[in-house]
Amino acid sequence: MGGLKKKKLWGSVSLVLALSLALAGCSGDNEKTTTKDGKEVLNITAFIGTPNQAPAKDNRIYKKIQDELGVNLEMEFLVGDLQQKLGVMIAGGDFPDLITADTKLVSAGAVIPLEDLIEEHAPNLKKHFGKDWNRMKDSSDGHIYWLPNYGVYTGEFISNYYSGPAFWIQKSILKDAGYPTPKTLDDFTKLIRDYAAKNPTIDGQPTIGFTTLASDWRTFPLLNPPEHLTGHPNDGGVVVDDSGVATVFADKDISKRYYKELNNLYNEGLLDKEAFVQNYDQYLAKISSGRVLSMFDQHWNFQAGEDPLVAQGKIGQTYVGFPLVYDTSITDHYLDRPVINLNNGFGISKDAEDPVALIKFLDKLMDEKYQKLLSWGEEGVDYQVNEEGRFYRTPEQRTEQDDPAWRLVNKAEGFYAAAPKLEGTFEDGNAIGAINQPEEFYDNLKPEDKELLDAYGFKTWSDFFSPAPENPVYYPAWQVDLKEGSDAAVANKQMTDTSLKFLPKAIMSKPDEFDNIWTEYVDAYKKIDVKSYEDRINDQLKWRIENWSVK
Amino acid sequence: MANTPGAIPEQTTRTVVTKAPLLKRLRGQRQLMFMSLPIVAYILVFSYYPIWGWVMAFQNYSPAKSFTQQEWVGLKHFKFLLTDDAFLNVLRNTIAMSVINMVLGFATAIIFAILLNEIKHKLYKRTIQTISYLPHFLSWIIVTGIVASSLSVDGGIVNVVLMKLNIIQEPIMWLSVPEYFWGIVGASHVWKEVGWNAIIYLAAITSIDPSLYEAAEIDGANRYKKMLYVTLPGIKSIVIILLIMNMGWILEAGFEVQYLLGNGVVVDWSQTIDIFVLKYGLQIGNYSLATAAGIFKTVVSITLIFAANSISKRLGEDRLI
Repeated sequence: MGGLKKKKLWGSVSLVLALSLALAGCSGDNEKTTTKDGKEVLNITAFIGTPNQAPAKDNRIYKKIQDELGVNLEMEFLVGDLQQKLGVMIAGGDFPDLITADTKLVSAGAVIPLEDLIEEHAPNLKKHFGKDWNRMKDSSDGHIYWLPNYGVYTGEFISNYYSGPAFWIQKSILKDAGYPTPKTLDDFTKLIRDYAAKNPTIDGQPTIGFTTLASDWRTFPLLNPPEHLTGHPNDGGVVVDDSGVATVFADKDISKRYYKELNNLYNEGLLDKEAFVQNYDQYLAKISSGRVLSMFDQHWNFQAGEDPLVAQGKIGQTYVGFPLVYDTSITDHYLDRPVINLNNGFGISKDAEDPVALIKFLDKLMDEKYQKLLSWGEEGVDYQVNEEGRFYRTPEQRTEQDDPAWRLVNKAEGFYAAAPKLEGTFEDGNAIGAINQPEEFYDNLKPEDKELLDAYGFKTWSDFFSPAPENPVYYPAWQVDLKEGSDAAVANKQMTDTSLKFLPKAIMSKPDEFDNIWTEYVDAYKKIDVKSYEDRINDQLKWRIENWSVK
Repeated sequence: MANTPGAIPEQTTRTVVTKAPLLKRLRGQRQLMFMSLPIVAYILVFSYYPIWGWVMAFQNYSPAKSFTQQEWVGLKHFKFLLTDDAFLNVLRNTIAMSVINMVLGFATAIIFAILLNEIKHKLYKRTIQTISYLPHFLSWIIVTGIVASSLSVDGGIVNVVLMKLNIIQEPIMWLSVPEYFWGIVGASHVWKEVGWNAIIYLAAITSIDPSLYEAAEIDGANRYKKMLYVTLPGIKSIVIILLIMNMGWILEAGFEVQYLLGNGVVVDWSQTIDIFVLKYGLQIGNYSLATAAGIFKTVVSITLIFAANSISKRLGEDRLI
């Protein structure tokens, strides 16, 4: 009996203990921490809508921000599907202080207008966004909800590294063919055909001549090429003519010509058989195997597949982008002038307790001192300064920057990518970001890359493209917000679905069946309310021209 | 109570029960009432309260507005669903894949359980059982990964085996032929769940009175006859109950398998209601349309479960409700 009682007693004691521990754990979060000089640390919660790795607990840069600015960032990064996560957040009505942009959040009334806050408390932000002020206003109510993260340049605009759309081809093919410059789709496919015939396998696996991707929201590798091949800039699903009128091109002849070419490649066995079945991970895995000769894509989209090749020293199997066109009478328009990245960056949620403190914090970070800390790091630790005041890195420092694990402890990448930032050059003439510092970029090149660039007589990857002409006022059309749940949004979904259904079918058909399937596709397209989509885009372009033009 | 001749005891008991005042009965069963309270509360909060959200289906719902400001649109969203070609396709796919999964799932699990029951070597039997139910614990994302790589044209095991056996001349792109999609989904389901589903039938089989087998043997029944006339009827009631319960899930053909294995080429055969809701509802912020599709699904499911129940009643079997 006694034993039983004892057991019971111990049971309840341990239960109480466990409960109190759990409670203590909950209340621990609210304890105030202070900086070195005794000021209270402000806790800021932030949701970042991209799947980053969480920084290490003792991260050097975040710690410096906490010590100097008295702000502790509690960041949550995306796990899983963004739309689902935002849906749950909206349904629950519970938002962090800072939140990365999504038009859905504006429709849900989850974020607060920022223009007055910026005017009153944020001189640096006001100066930074000054010339884009009107562009940042939401077209429906004229408020500013987001602080865009990219696309506002100060000083000189430098771009050494190209991450936009292009037809990408392996460097070893160029070397093999004596460094030619393919201009048209035909030049390009000839290079692929010749090289694939000579090298039926690469590293023991069958060679893939050309691949593409049409998985989830990443449909642009399959759908966007026709607009580029006809000399239009990247406007997404439409091409815009000189008078600023947008039309859908997916079912037009300019598209047919491109997909017919893919059909030819397919029937010659050069097009990846699994191109339309693969998901994003499989696509990256295929690229990192080094046997994909070419594709159309944007560099940032397949970068992760290229990284392992660089790490293994297989520089020949990494890619160079070319601005292909249908025929040489067309001028390529792949390279564009940077535009402010609307509907991106941070907003302040309606749940934030002290929006003024938040905006003041973001404003302080726009100071050059902190921008240098966020982009280059700490002087003497992450970079050196030579006698002329130019920033550079030592070889050891460059190696560190290539190591993802090191970056989690020593860089604040997750936050920096989403935050508003300076781009271009600092007042002292140094580029913002090491990759944009011309001499640092060149010194950091691998020997194979230097050889290739020297053979073409170029200094940077962007030199392969025609210089970017002045952007039209409305550019780019892909940033138009279709409005949640509108007819235009439904039509857009249906258009994508139809393309993803018929294009692979057409491409994988026998050459003489292609025309029939194309006709079917065009007929299916006619059933969709394409007009509501075009109308929404044109309305918005017109609105932009009226409101954004410098008067 | 005196047992006078002519009075039927059961009847008396029954009248006493029905006539007892409600309060008295409640008090008499207070322990039971108390025990069921948490469950009732749970169901009220998580299953009945959300039904309120169904009003969204009759509005052009916008999360930024309060309830009184919402715009009412009547049956607009239901009309869109029932006239949209894509949705009718989606409905067909959902029902077809559910039926395939259910029939295949039932048939394979029952056959597997009966066959497994015939194995007399204990260790051998247990090993088979364990191996067969292990895939149940894998998540669909892993299973679809395995399925996709075994069906790959690029050294996938299915194509390799078929080519070695000279059944096909060149690799088949299984995942880009729309007509194969239902079959692939059905087969994946069977692989993942057959062992797990068989457990309940194995349990039911063990409860069959061994004397029935002895009697059958004396009557000259061989092994197959015993399976057919003793084992099968012995688990019939379990089968019927499970069938009724599963009827409620008939429109739950799934989301993950189809979402993860599907692609643009096979979309006409792979898209289910859940995927449609995700794409045309949640992803483009059309919450009302998503709700309407959800209601549609629920109503069909409830109808089916009542139908199955009444059929079972006609057959003289146990009923769930």
